[in-house]
Amino acid sequence: MLRVRDLAVGYGAEPVIEGVNLEVASGKFVSLVGPSGSGKTSILRAVSGLLTPRSGGIELNGSRESLGFLFQDDALLPWRTARENVALGLRIRKLPTKAAESEADAWLARLGLGGFGERFPHELSGGQRKRVAIAQILALKPKLLLMDEPFASLDAIVRTRITQELLNWVEREHLSVLLVTHDLEEALTVSDTVYLLSQGPRARILASYNVAIPRPRDIFASRKHPNFAPLLERLWNDMSGAMNGAEFEAQR
Amino acid sequence: MNRYLENVAVRRVLAMVLLASAWEVLSRIGVINPFYAPAPSEILRVVFSLFIEGTIYNHLEATFVAALAGLVIGLALGIFLGFAAALVPLVADVLEPIMLLLNAIPRVILAPLFVIWLGIEISSKIALAVVLVAVLIFFAVYNGIKDVNQLFVDRVRTLGGGRLVLLREVYVPSVTAWVLGSLKVAVGFAFTGACVGEFVAATRGLGYLLQFAQSTYNAALTMGLIFLIMGFVLVLFFCAEVVERWLLRWRYRGTDRRVT
Ligand SMILES: Nc1ncnc2c1ncn2[C@@H]1O[C@H](COP(=O)(O)OP(=O)(O)O)[C@@H](O)[C@H]1O
Ligand SMILES: [Mg+2]
Repeated sequence: MLRVRDLAVGYGAEPVIEGVNLEVASGKFVSLVGPSGSGKTSILRAVSGLLTPRSGGIELNGSRESLGFLFQDDALLPWRTARENVALGLRIRKLPTKAAESEADAWLARLGLGGFGERFPHELSGGQRKRVAIAQILALKPKLLLMDEPFASLDAIVRTRITQELLNWVEREHLSVLLVTHDLEEALTVSDTVYLLSQGPRARILASYNVAIPRPRDIFASRKHPNFAPLLERLWNDMSGAMNGAEFEAQR
Repeated sequence: MNRYLENVAVRRVLAMVLLASAWEVLSRIGVINPFYAPAPSEILRVVFSLFIEGTIYNHLEATFVAALAGLVIGLALGIFLGFAAALVPLVADVLEPIMLLLNAIPRVILAPLFVIWLGIEISSKIALAVVLVAVLIFFAVYNGIKDVNQLFVDRVRTLGGGRLVLLREVYVPSVTAWVLGSLKVAVGFAFTGACVGEFVAATRGLGYLLQFAQSTYNAALTMGLIFLIMGFVLVLFFCAEVVERWLLRWRYRGTDRRVT
């Protein structure tokens, strides 16, 4: 579905990431974890076309139209109602306004927001706004979902619930996912593969981990699977090793 | 009584009534010289007679037409130039220094120049109002576009939107919010332009009348006109507020029924 080859991305003189290789096979859930500021967001922005890579290749199975990008912030247009926000992507794809808005209503209902279509973003709670943002993306029927710490700002209960719902949807529709998160447990509960990015600058992929836990998954049951704890410990050690090394280097 | 006093509006009206009464009394017993500060009743009488005799309407029309024409043209020009400068770097290079200069000087000093160029009729007043408003709105639009939230731009782009969609969905609404933030000031500026223009050289208008009152040392008429202009500007402020609340209803609506 997606293959990133030898990717380098940067803003100033020094590249933020360099020589990054990763792959999201069709229907697979892949997570990218790493220290904050290592360049996870930059990788997603390069994949989505918001950022031009310094070098390297991004091979997508299909066009960028098949990408859905869920930002860390919900990024809903404040001057548009929930319905109009969801309909926006459909209208951009040339669906007539009427049809786009009734389709938007159907998606809002599917996400448990039936009857909230008339509300402006500031009239919704954080969790509700996040659901609108998810509806906005799913309405475009993406094949590959890019998610950048999408639930970091939500409280624990809402976060767990929305994560499980999205996981169910992804499994049922066989979507491919590239999820960026700093939460190692979250990464392991939902993913087939987890990539660990090193501390930047010139961050690269340190290791990848296969998560052998059967699907469909329940995020509570997954944590109790015998494969979970050893994998978490390994990932935890590798990640803190990567960060300590960087701190050590910075002190020298 | 105490309960009423807790209301800000009640307190304000009460304070104004008290002030006017004190003024009236002091003026009648001769503490204040009515030549400089005539009693409020006298000012009211002069203003009413202006309306009853009908002399005021011609002047009102002149000032209102100049101010509103200046406001509309100034808004249109400011918005157009602001967008042009923000979207075309070459236009920005040419316009920015001119606008910065015009912004730095008190623009009313251009009034005599407009009289020389355009004569003492209404067009010189409109021109002054236009310059006052357009420079203000230019910066509102120009800064508004440069300050657009990049998150919304990225969002629309990843949904597949091109330049036109970005303009319609992100830039125009953001800029509208900025322009509306300056709308009240713009209304005030439009009136300033019209009145100052009339003050400098005119045959009619509130500014002209004011100039006449001042040259004949008619303090009652002068103060009456000042209060009259204040009143009209306040009414227009109210209208501007209504327009602002309607166009920015996405910001104001339902602030009391937020759900969590
Ligand atoms: N627009 C930008 N301009 C300059 N530097 C940036 C920009 N965006 C990110 N960076 C820098 O790139 C590095 C990686 O950022 P980012 O990809 O956001 O990391 P992460 O998502 O892993 O926290 C950081 O050091 C950050 O300061
Ligand atoms: Mg990030």
